[in-house]
Amino acid sequence: MWYKLVLFVLMSIMIYFSFALPAPQQQIGESSRVFYYHIPQAWICVIAFAMSMFYSIRYLQKKDIKYDDKAVVAAKLGLIFCILATVTGAMFAKVTWGVYWNWDPRQTSVFILLLIYGAYFALRGAVEIEEKRAALSAVYSIFAFVTVPFLIFIVPRMVPSLHPNDSIISENLKFNIEGAISLVFFSSLALFTVLYIWLFNIGVRVQLLIRKQLEQEDF
Amino acid sequence: MDGNYVVMAVTLIVWIGLFFFILSVDKKVKKLEEKS
Repeated sequence: MWYKLVLFVLMSIMIYFSFALPAPQQQIGESSRVFYYHIPQAWICVIAFAMSMFYSIRYLQKKDIKYDDKAVVAAKLGLIFCILATVTGAMFAKVTWGVYWNWDPRQTSVFILLLIYGAYFALRGAVEIEEKRAALSAVYSIFAFVTVPFLIFIVPRMVPSLHPNDSIISENLKFNIEGAISLVFFSSLALFTVLYIWLFNIGVRVQLLIRKQLEQEDF
Repeated sequence: MDGNYVVMAVTLIVWIGLFFFILSVDKKVKKLEEKS
Protein backbone atom coordinates (compact mmCIF):
# COMPACT_ATOMS: atom_id res chain seq x y z
CA MET A 1 0.00 0.00 0.00
CA TRP A 2 2.83 2.39 0.85
CA TYR A 3 4.14 2.61 -2.70
CA LYS A 4 0.68 3.62 -3.95
CA LEU A 5 0.57 6.46 -1.42
CA VAL A 6 4.10 7.55 -2.41
CA LEU A 7 3.08 7.38 -6.08
CA PHE A 8 0.01 9.53 -5.39
CA VAL A 9 1.94 12.21 -3.51
CA LEU A 10 4.96 12.31 -5.83
CA MET A 11 2.86 12.32 -9.02
CA SER A 12 0.82 15.23 -7.63
CA ILE A 13 4.06 17.11 -6.84
CA MET A 14 5.43 16.28 -10.31
CA ILE A 15 2.24 17.63 -11.93
CA TYR A 16 2.55 20.83 -9.90
CA PHE A 17 6.17 21.43 -10.93
CA SER A 18 5.54 20.47 -14.57
CA PHE A 19 3.36 23.59 -14.79
CA ALA A 20 5.03 25.82 -12.19
CA LEU A 21 8.53 25.67 -13.69
CA PRO A 22 9.43 27.58 -16.88
CA ALA A 23 8.60 25.73 -20.13
CA PRO A 24 11.32 23.14 -20.85
CA GLN A 25 11.86 24.26 -24.46
CA GLN A 26 11.68 28.05 -24.53
CA GLN A 27 11.92 28.19 -28.36
CA ILE A 28 8.78 25.99 -28.65
CA GLY A 29 6.91 27.70 -25.83
CA GLU A 30 4.31 26.56 -23.30
CA SER A 31 3.24 23.57 -25.42
CA SER A 32 6.62 21.95 -24.72
CA ARG A 33 5.35 21.13 -21.20
CA VAL A 34 3.64 18.15 -22.85
CA PHE A 35 7.03 16.44 -22.92
CA TYR A 36 6.72 15.68 -19.17
CA TYR A 37 3.78 13.40 -20.11
CA HIS A 38 4.20 12.49 -23.77
CA ILE A 39 7.72 11.01 -23.51
CA PRO A 40 7.00 8.89 -20.38
CA GLN A 41 3.86 7.54 -22.11
CA ALA A 42 5.91 6.59 -25.20
CA TRP A 43 8.55 5.08 -22.87
CA ILE A 44 5.93 2.92 -21.11
CA CYS A 45 4.56 1.89 -24.50
CA VAL A 46 8.00 0.51 -25.49
CA ILE A 47 8.54 -1.13 -22.05
CA ALA A 48 5.09 -2.78 -22.18
CA PHE A 49 5.56 -4.13 -25.71
CA ALA A 50 9.02 -5.41 -24.71
CA MET A 51 7.47 -7.15 -21.68
CA SER A 52 4.78 -8.64 -23.91
CA MET A 53 7.52 -10.06 -26.13
CA PHE A 54 9.47 -11.35 -23.09
CA TYR A 55 6.44 -13.20 -21.67
CA SER A 56 5.59 -14.51 -25.14
CA ILE A 57 9.06 -16.06 -25.37
CA ARG A 58 8.61 -17.49 -21.86
CA TYR A 59 5.27 -18.97 -22.92
CA LEU A 60 6.83 -20.66 -25.95
CA GLN A 61 9.60 -22.03 -23.71
CA LYS A 62 7.45 -23.27 -20.82
CA LYS A 63 3.96 -23.62 -22.35
CA ASP A 64 2.61 -22.17 -19.10
CA ILE A 65 -0.61 -20.19 -19.71
CA LYS A 66 0.24 -17.65 -16.98
CA TYR A 67 2.93 -16.24 -19.29
CA ASP A 68 0.32 -15.78 -22.02
CA ASP A 69 -1.84 -13.88 -19.50
CA LYS A 70 1.10 -11.61 -18.64
CA ALA A 71 1.92 -11.07 -22.32
CA VAL A 72 -1.63 -10.02 -23.13
CA VAL A 73 -1.89 -7.68 -20.13
CA ALA A 74 1.41 -6.01 -21.11
CA ALA A 75 0.24 -5.66 -24.74
CA LYS A 76 -3.08 -4.12 -23.61
CA LEU A 77 -1.30 -1.57 -21.42
CA GLY A 78 1.23 -0.89 -24.18
CA LEU A 79 -1.60 -0.15 -26.59
CA ILE A 80 -3.32 2.16 -24.07
CA PHE A 81 -0.11 4.12 -23.43
CA CYS A 82 0.61 4.20 -27.18
CA ILE A 83 -2.83 5.77 -27.77
CA LEU A 84 -2.18 8.27 -24.95
CA ALA A 85 1.21 9.19 -26.47
CA THR A 86 -0.46 9.60 -29.88
CA VAL A 87 -3.18 11.84 -28.44
CA THR A 88 -0.76 14.03 -26.47
CA GLY A 89 1.47 14.19 -29.57
CA ALA A 90 -1.50 15.29 -31.70
CA MET A 91 -2.33 18.01 -29.15
CA PHE A 92 1.27 19.24 -29.33
CA ALA A 93 1.06 19.13 -33.15
CA LYS A 94 -2.10 21.26 -33.13
CA VAL A 95 -0.43 23.99 -31.05
CA THR A 96 2.95 23.87 -32.82
CA TRP A 97 2.16 22.88 -36.42
CA GLY A 98 -1.47 24.06 -36.62
CA VAL A 99 -3.07 20.66 -37.25
CA TYR A 100 -3.68 17.60 -35.09
CA TRP A 101 -2.55 15.16 -37.76
CA ASN A 102 -0.39 15.76 -40.84
CA TRP A 103 1.09 12.27 -41.50
CA ASP A 104 4.47 13.35 -40.19
CA PRO A 105 6.88 10.34 -40.26
CA ARG A 106 6.61 10.05 -36.46
CA GLN A 107 2.81 10.11 -36.55
CA THR A 108 2.71 7.64 -39.44
CA SER A 109 5.08 5.20 -37.71
CA VAL A 110 3.03 5.33 -34.48
CA PHE A 111 -0.14 4.79 -36.50
CA ILE A 112 1.42 1.67 -38.07
CA LEU A 113 2.45 0.48 -34.58
CA LEU A 114 -1.13 0.90 -33.35
CA LEU A 115 -2.37 -1.14 -36.32
CA ILE A 116 0.22 -3.88 -35.65
CA TYR A 117 -0.83 -4.25 -31.99
CA GLY A 118 -4.51 -3.84 -32.90
CA ALA A 119 -4.04 -6.86 -35.17
CA TYR A 120 -2.55 -8.77 -32.19
CA PHE A 121 -5.91 -8.50 -30.40
CA ALA A 122 -7.81 -9.29 -33.60
CA LEU A 123 -5.73 -12.45 -33.89
CA ARG A 124 -6.44 -13.40 -30.28
CA GLY A 125 -10.15 -12.85 -30.84
CA ALA A 126 -10.17 -15.03 -33.95
CA VAL A 127 -8.74 -18.20 -32.37
CA GLU A 128 -10.95 -20.13 -29.95
CA ILE A 129 -8.65 -22.93 -28.80
CA GLU A 130 -6.67 -21.54 -25.85
CA GLU A 131 -3.32 -23.25 -26.49
CA LYS A 132 -3.42 -22.42 -30.20
CA ARG A 133 -4.38 -18.80 -29.44
CA ALA A 134 -1.56 -18.47 -26.90
CA ALA A 135 1.05 -20.00 -29.24
CA LEU A 136 0.01 -17.99 -32.30
CA SER A 137 -0.21 -14.70 -30.45
CA ALA A 138 3.13 -15.37 -28.72
CA VAL A 139 4.84 -15.76 -32.10
CA TYR A 140 3.01 -12.69 -33.42
CA SER A 141 4.01 -10.63 -30.37
CA ILE A 142 7.69 -11.47 -30.89
CA PHE A 143 7.56 -10.38 -34.54
CA ALA A 144 5.48 -7.32 -33.62
CA PHE A 145 8.13 -6.14 -31.16
CA VAL A 146 10.83 -6.37 -33.82
CA THR A 147 9.07 -3.45 -35.53
CA VAL A 148 8.97 -1.29 -32.35
CA PRO A 149 12.58 0.01 -32.31
CA PHE A 150 12.42 0.41 -36.08
CA LEU A 151 9.15 2.38 -36.05
CA ILE A 152 9.84 4.46 -32.92
CA PHE A 153 13.57 5.16 -33.07
CA ILE A 154 14.83 4.55 -36.62
CA VAL A 155 12.17 5.54 -39.21
CA PRO A 156 11.42 9.02 -37.76
CA ARG A 157 15.16 9.82 -37.83
CA MET A 158 15.72 8.54 -41.38
CA VAL A 159 13.37 11.00 -43.07
CA PRO A 160 12.84 14.74 -42.43
CA SER A 161 10.30 15.26 -39.65
CA LEU A 162 8.79 18.19 -37.77
CA HIS A 163 8.91 16.15 -34.56
CA PRO A 164 11.62 17.39 -32.16
CA ASN A 165 14.14 14.54 -31.86
CA ASP A 166 16.69 16.16 -29.56
CA SER A 167 14.51 17.33 -26.64
CA ILE A 168 16.26 15.02 -24.18
CA ILE A 169 19.38 13.60 -25.80
CA SER A 170 21.34 15.47 -28.45
CA GLU A 171 22.99 13.87 -31.47
CA ASN A 172 26.25 13.78 -29.43
CA LEU A 173 24.42 11.60 -26.86
CA LYS A 174 24.47 14.38 -24.24
CA PHE A 175 21.48 15.39 -22.12
CA ASN A 176 19.83 18.57 -23.37
CA ILE A 177 17.96 19.15 -20.12
CA GLU A 178 19.37 20.00 -16.72
CA GLY A 179 18.53 21.26 -13.24
CA ALA A 180 14.94 21.28 -12.04
CA ILE A 181 13.53 20.46 -15.50
CA SER A 182 15.67 17.34 -15.66
CA LEU A 183 14.59 16.33 -12.14
CA VAL A 184 10.89 16.72 -12.96
CA PHE A 185 11.28 14.88 -16.26
CA PHE A 186 13.11 11.87 -14.80
CA SER A 187 10.68 11.80 -11.85
CA SER A 188 7.82 11.67 -14.35
CA LEU A 189 9.55 8.81 -16.17
CA ALA A 190 9.99 6.87 -12.90
CA LEU A 191 6.45 7.60 -11.65
CA PHE A 192 4.82 6.54 -14.92
CA THR A 193 6.87 3.34 -14.69
CA VAL A 194 5.57 2.66 -11.15
CA LEU A 195 2.01 3.40 -12.33
CA TYR A 196 2.51 0.92 -15.18
CA ILE A 197 3.81 -1.77 -12.79
CA TRP A 198 0.77 -1.25 -10.54
CA LEU A 199 -1.64 -1.50 -13.52
CA PHE A 200 0.20 -4.56 -14.81
CA ASN A 201 -0.09 -6.22 -11.40
CA ILE A 202 -3.86 -5.57 -11.27
CA GLY A 203 -4.29 -6.77 -14.87
CA VAL A 204 -2.49 -10.05 -14.21
CA ARG A 205 -4.55 -10.68 -11.05
CA VAL A 206 -7.78 -10.02 -12.99
CA GLN A 207 -6.68 -12.49 -15.69
CA LEU A 208 -6.01 -15.09 -12.97
CA LEU A 209 -9.48 -14.52 -11.47
CA ILE A 210 -11.11 -14.90 -14.90
CA ARG A 211 -9.18 -18.13 -15.42
CA LYS A 212 -10.28 -19.48 -12.01
CA GLN A 213 -13.89 -18.52 -12.77
CA LEU A 214 -13.78 -20.30 -16.14
CA GLU A 215 -12.27 -23.42 -14.53
CA GLN A 216 -15.05 -23.47 -11.91
CA GLU A 217 -17.69 -23.15 -14.66
CA ASP A 218 -16.12 -26.10 -16.51
CA PHE A 219 -16.52 -28.29 -13.39
CA MET B 1 -5.63 33.73 -13.71
CA ASP B 2 -2.63 32.20 -15.49
CA GLY B 3 -3.79 29.58 -18.01
CA ASN B 4 -1.05 27.23 -16.83
CA TYR B 5 -2.66 26.97 -13.39
CA VAL B 6 -6.04 26.11 -14.95
CA VAL B 7 -4.45 23.26 -16.93
CA MET B 8 -2.55 22.20 -13.78
CA ALA B 9 -5.81 22.09 -11.78
CA VAL B 10 -7.52 20.01 -14.51
CA THR B 11 -4.53 17.63 -14.70
CA LEU B 12 -4.51 17.23 -10.91
CA ILE B 13 -8.26 16.53 -10.84
CA VAL B 14 -7.86 13.91 -13.60
CA TRP B 15 -4.91 12.32 -11.76
CA ILE B 16 -6.75 12.22 -8.39
CA GLY B 17 -9.84 10.71 -10.05
CA LEU B 18 -7.76 8.16 -11.93
CA PHE B 19 -5.74 7.23 -8.83
CA PHE B 20 -8.81 6.56 -6.67
CA PHE B 21 -10.49 4.66 -9.51
CA ILE B 22 -7.45 2.36 -9.88
CA LEU B 23 -7.26 2.02 -6.09
CA SER B 24 -10.93 0.97 -5.93
CA VAL B 25 -10.38 -1.60 -8.72
CA ASP B 26 -7.35 -2.91 -6.80
CA LYS B 27 -9.46 -3.31 -3.64
CA LYS B 28 -12.28 -5.05 -5.53
CA VAL B 29 -9.79 -7.49 -7.07
CA LYS B 30 -8.36 -8.18 -3.58
CA LYS B 31 -11.84 -8.94 -2.24
CA LEU B 32 -12.53 -11.32 -5.13
CA GLU B 33 -9.18 -13.02 -4.54
CA GLU B 34 -10.05 -13.56 -0.88
CA LYS B 35 -13.45 -15.01 -1.84
CA SER B 36 -12.11 -17.45 -4.41
